[in-house]
Amino acid sequence: MDWKRTREPADAWHMTDDLHVEHGKGDPFAAAIRATRMSMIITDPRQADNPIVFVNDAFLRLSGYERHEVLGKNCRFLQGSKTDKATVDLLREAIAEKVDVSVDILNYRKDGSTFWNALFISPVSNDRGELLFFFASQLDVSDRKRSEHRMTADKERFEKAVKERTRELEAALEAQTTLLHEVDHRVKNNLQMISSLIVMQSRTIKDAATKKSLTTMLERIEALSTVHRRLYQSKDVSRFDVAEFARDLVTDLLTASGRAEIKSTLDLEPIVISAEKATPVALMVNELVTNALKHAFKEKPDGTTAGRIGIKMSQPDGHFNIEVSDDGVGMADASGDASFGMRLIKSLARQLHADIEWRDAGPGTKVVISMPNEPQQKGNVS
Amino acid sequence: MIEPLKVLIVEDEALLAMELESLVEEAGHSVVGWATSSTEAKAMVDSTEADIAFVDIHLTDGPTGVEVAEYIGEKKNSMVVFMTANPKRIPDHFAGAIGVIAKPYTMNGLMSALRYLQEGVHRPPPKSVLPAGFTLSPAFKTVWAPAA
Ligand SMILES: Nc1ncnc2c1ncn2[C@@H]1O[C@H](COP(=O)(O)OP(=O)(O)OP(=O)(O)O)[C@@H](O)[C@H]1O
Ligand SMILES: [Mg+2]
Repeated sequence: MDWKRTREPADAWHMTDDLHVEHGKGDPFAAAIRATRMSMIITDPRQADNPIVFVNDAFLRLSGYERHEVLGKNCRFLQGSKTDKATVDLLREAIAEKVDVSVDILNYRKDGSTFWNALFISPVSNDRGELLFFFASQLDVSDRKRSEHRMTADKERFEKAVKERTRELEAALEAQTTLLHEVDHRVKNNLQMISSLIVMQSRTIKDAATKKSLTTMLERIEALSTVHRRLYQSKDVSRFDVAEFARDLVTDLLTASGRAEIKSTLDLEPIVISAEKATPVALMVNELVTNALKHAFKEKPDGTTAGRIGIKMSQPDGHFNIEVSDDGVGMADASGDASFGMRLIKSLARQLHADIEWRDAGPGTKVVISMPNEPQQKGNVS
Repeated sequence: MIEPLKVLIVEDEALLAMELESLVEEAGHSVVGWATSSTEAKAMVDSTEADIAFVDIHLTDGPTGVEVAEYIGEKKNSMVVFMTANPKRIPDHFAGAIGVIAKPYTMNGLMSALRYLQEGVHRPPPKSVLPAGFTLSPAFKTVWAPAA
């Protein structure tokens, strides 16, 4: 196509296309555009197929073409097979609507190599609003694109790695849960067996004192059993509902004692403690309740041993308090600290950083335990 | 005086079965048989008369306790109470069983459970309170322990 024939001679931009026109070279703006390192072209939409009417040297350096190879051609020769169709559509629409457009597009050099082109096209109109040219600038942004691609690839790789790791962790957690259930199952069965062994042994023993001591041992082991039975009933295996446990324990000990005249008063706030505290707390409560049952209630003249055992559990700010009380004979006559039960209670209290105090309740005894407890999550154990 | 229970024990752990038998008999009931596997248990269900079967979930031939409970349920000649350290293995419908005694149970917990079951089997619903460690199936809960 011969663009020279159809050009508008009055236009200064146009003149600059003609390499041999002297006054075009004298225009400082035209000179600047010719010399800039930014690749620039001008097309003429009033000619058929909107051909290139001006290119600067930077464009030729960027694209690898000679000037005569590109003048008069539509810009599409820069596109190639890997150029994004949607981006090309975007350009076409903007040109049809005569508006600015700015895209990153993959373009091809003369030698077939590609570069990422940050392309900016804007229409140029005259005073009367008639469209005269399109002005386009090109910037090679292959480096930026490369790092963008690398970042996207990195991101995808990371996401994949994270997904994989999550899957691994989930599988590990599941395996661990299965294992926990298996171990829990065995612990429970073994505790049951220990109890059974003691009961069976006890049946064969005639001596009352030995039998009594086996019964005490059974009570302690059963307190542990009750902890374990309750421990994994909730969804959260790390928390333990100590009030529910106390209810179970007292009911059990009272009925086991076979002494229907002894009543219990339970005043239990729902209190959750961490699992590792469950065993010492349970053992301590067991010792105190069995002590009250064993020692507090002396036989009355009518042969009965009526009485009341009270357990109160509360949690005033950051503390967990337990009170075990009876209205029996009191501990004025108690023989001191030497016995095993007392030593056990005091050691457990130390382990729990608990303060423990025996008070004369007149009548009877009130044991008050107070220990720090982590703040409660609202709601329940599950 | 309520008549005593005839009990079938389905438990793979000899020690526990032995001790359970002693406790059942101490409480005045009788044990009609002890099975360690589902096969043994089914044969025993066919050949004996029991009021209650205590069924562990894990038997010598695998986690077949539920299957045993279903078999007993079809025969309709006795009632089932699961006795397991793994109550989570029991299906929601309990395979028709009364409930579950969770291991480890206490000696007293078991005695209370026997008393409760004796009342429940021969004079339903039971008058005693539900013993600690004993959980009723949803179906039995509505009949034996309706919400007040
Ligand atoms: N609630 C109580 N009322 C009256 N006396 C008590 C009470 N609690 C403890 N005692 C007295 O304190 C003593 C020490 O109790 P401790 O628990 O150490 O021993 P024990 O119960 O006799 O035996 P064991 O070592 O098996 O527990 C008891 O022998 C008893 O005299
Ligand atoms: Mg004691």
